[in-house]
Amino acid sequence: MVVVFILGLLASSLMERRAEVVSVFNNKRTIFTDSIVSQNEKFKADYPREYNTWAMTEDTSFESKYNGSEEVDVLEQRPEMVILWAGYAFSRNYNTPRGHKHALDDMRKILRTGNPGIDGDADMQPATCWTCKGPDVPRMMRELGLDTYYHMRWSELGNEMVNTIGCSDCHDARTMELRPARPALYEAFERRGLNVKDATYQEMRSLVCAQCHVEYYFKKGTDYLTFPWDKGLTLEDAEAYYDELDYYDYIHSLSKTPILKAQHPGYEMSLQGIHGQRGVSCADCHMPYMSEGGVKYTDHHIMSPLANIDRTCQTCHRQDAETLRKNVYERQDKCTEVRNRAEKELATAHIEAKFAIDNGATEAEMKPIQDLLRKSQWRWDYAIASHGATFHAPQEVTRLLSHSVDFAHQARLQIVKVLAKHGFTGDIPMPDVSTKAKAQQYIGLDMPKLEEKNQRFMDEIVPKWIEDAKAKGKLIDL
Amino acid sequence: MKALDKITNLFSHRQKVFLLVVAGVICGLGGLFLYLLRAHTYLGDDSSACINCHIMTPYYATWSHSSHGRDATCNDCHVPHQNMAMKYGFKAVDGLKHVAYFLTHSERQAIMAEDMSAEVIMDNCIRCHTQLNQEFVYTGRIDFMEAKRGEGKACWDCHRNVPHGGMNSLSGTPGAEGVVPLPPSPVPNWLQNIIGK
Repeated sequence: MVVVFILGLLASSLMERRAEVVSVFNNKRTIFTDSIVSQNEKFKADYPREYNTWAMTEDTSFESKYNGSEEVDVLEQRPEMVILWAGYAFSRNYNTPRGHKHALDDMRKILRTGNPGIDGDADMQPATCWTCKGPDVPRMMRELGLDTYYHMRWSELGNEMVNTIGCSDCHDARTMELRPARPALYEAFERRGLNVKDATYQEMRSLVCAQCHVEYYFKKGTDYLTFPWDKGLTLEDAEAYYDELDYYDYIHSLSKTPILKAQHPGYEMSLQGIHGQRGVSCADCHMPYMSEGGVKYTDHHIMSPLANIDRTCQTCHRQDAETLRKNVYERQDKCTEVRNRAEKELATAHIEAKFAIDNGATEAEMKPIQDLLRKSQWRWDYAIASHGATFHAPQEVTRLLSHSVDFAHQARLQIVKVLAKHGFTGDIPMPDVSTKAKAQQYIGLDMPKLEEKNQRFMDEIVPKWIEDAKAKGKLIDL
Repeated sequence: MKALDKITNLFSHRQKVFLLVVAGVICGLGGLFLYLLRAHTYLGDDSSACINCHIMTPYYATWSHSSHGRDATCNDCHVPHQNMAMKYGFKAVDGLKHVAYFLTHSERQAIMAEDMSAEVIMDNCIRCHTQLNQEFVYTGRIDFMEAKRGEGKACWDCHRNVPHGGMNSLSGTPGAEGVVPLPPSPVPNWLQNIIGK
């Protein structure tokens, strides 16, 4: 009897799987009339698979040789980067990125956004900094108007920016069509005589990522978020664009160089690689299709494709998973080899430039050196800030990094010449900057104080933002 | 005869009737179970047996549109043909593996042949294309394990799209789910006629 019963159960379970094909749209429970719905939870009932996989971006357990899902303190690993960013907030705190679900948390706790409201401290950053952090952004841009939004300070919108990167950032809530929600992308396309709306579906599967994972800058004076794409999408095109504007992000506190800080030109760099050039979209590998019981859907657990080689690489490549993983690591290793050299040389050059200035080098003597340092650092930053480029476009990364090493070397040669003119011919003394703490102390950062203030900011100010948003129904619990 | 008598004498008449009924129920439901699973189709060579469950749909769809879809069946490539014992032995082992993957939902999103299977497939490429790859060119003079050791190439190292196409994914042919021959209703025609449907 038991045997018969179990056999019956098995039979019906197998038969059920046969009938698993269902239609999503015929059974929609929530009908949206607005294209932007910022509470991601409202989508759960109608798109359970997409919602649940999106929610899994909370998971930080995936480890890879480079940039897994966990947060890693990069400055701890690479103290030279503290030196490279001396005079800019990045020297305080820089971690490897976590999943989309952590975007808001990570931004509030990072030392780069300061601690507005603690001990009367003002904002360090404009509201523009929120722009990529969730579907509340397009909602507020529409409510306030673009100019007002960009003109506000970061903390003024703290109680509005409460839903992390989610559905309405990429989808029109009414139809679920792909639709990037950030004006900067549309404006950059327009200036190049293109229209985002003309993009094919396959291109759109990258453009929704490109609304954020790109190089951008805030226009001086207005903090208007802009992509430097007018001349093209390569590093050289962006450099020419910035040079024409005499633009710089900060003056390096050691070498007094006007530095260009690269953001994360992930999209531009991927276009330089073979996958991008063959028309593979970001989503093809980072959001691979899944078939579950006859239903095909897009995995919204955006992460490294190395976590799911069987449905990313192996869709096209026939090699076994370990071979493919090794192929990726090999490319990343080689790029990292050059990166290590670039960081060492460039950090040394900045310190040597400071020594030259301290020993009487004139502004005119320093100008050509600073030009070289600016070029070198821009190439290094552009190559490494675009997470994943060591795989997306390894040859472009090595090209940029080798130019970076070359410019740093040229700068160091010039420094020696200038110093000789001022009567110094020995070895330039090097400070001990072998750890993050030592490097931060060397460039004059009071880290304990910054961290203590940030802790109070997290304990006193942020909970009020959340409370306020909940009271107004802008943040909902399931 | 004595031994048989001994066993039959163990049970009373009532017990015998009861046991017969129970045995009948088990055999009957067991038979029904196998019939509903279309287990009988696994004995033959009809390719549609492979899409009794929907997992193989993309592979059926890509095969049926390929040049191999005209004359070769799934079995022509995927089970050995040296003799009946090897054919059904392999079918049983491979089939039970598929059952295990299916029931535990552990199917890969891009299904790939395991080594045992790859050996069979390559042998079958060579079996049908013998003259071509033994007389005209010599690519068919090795087997898969030799190719794996780097002593030559497997057929599909060059013929990469044969016969399932360049994309390998359960999601590769989303439109085929409702188009490939779906398993017929388990209720036989004569019964349908009787109950008037």
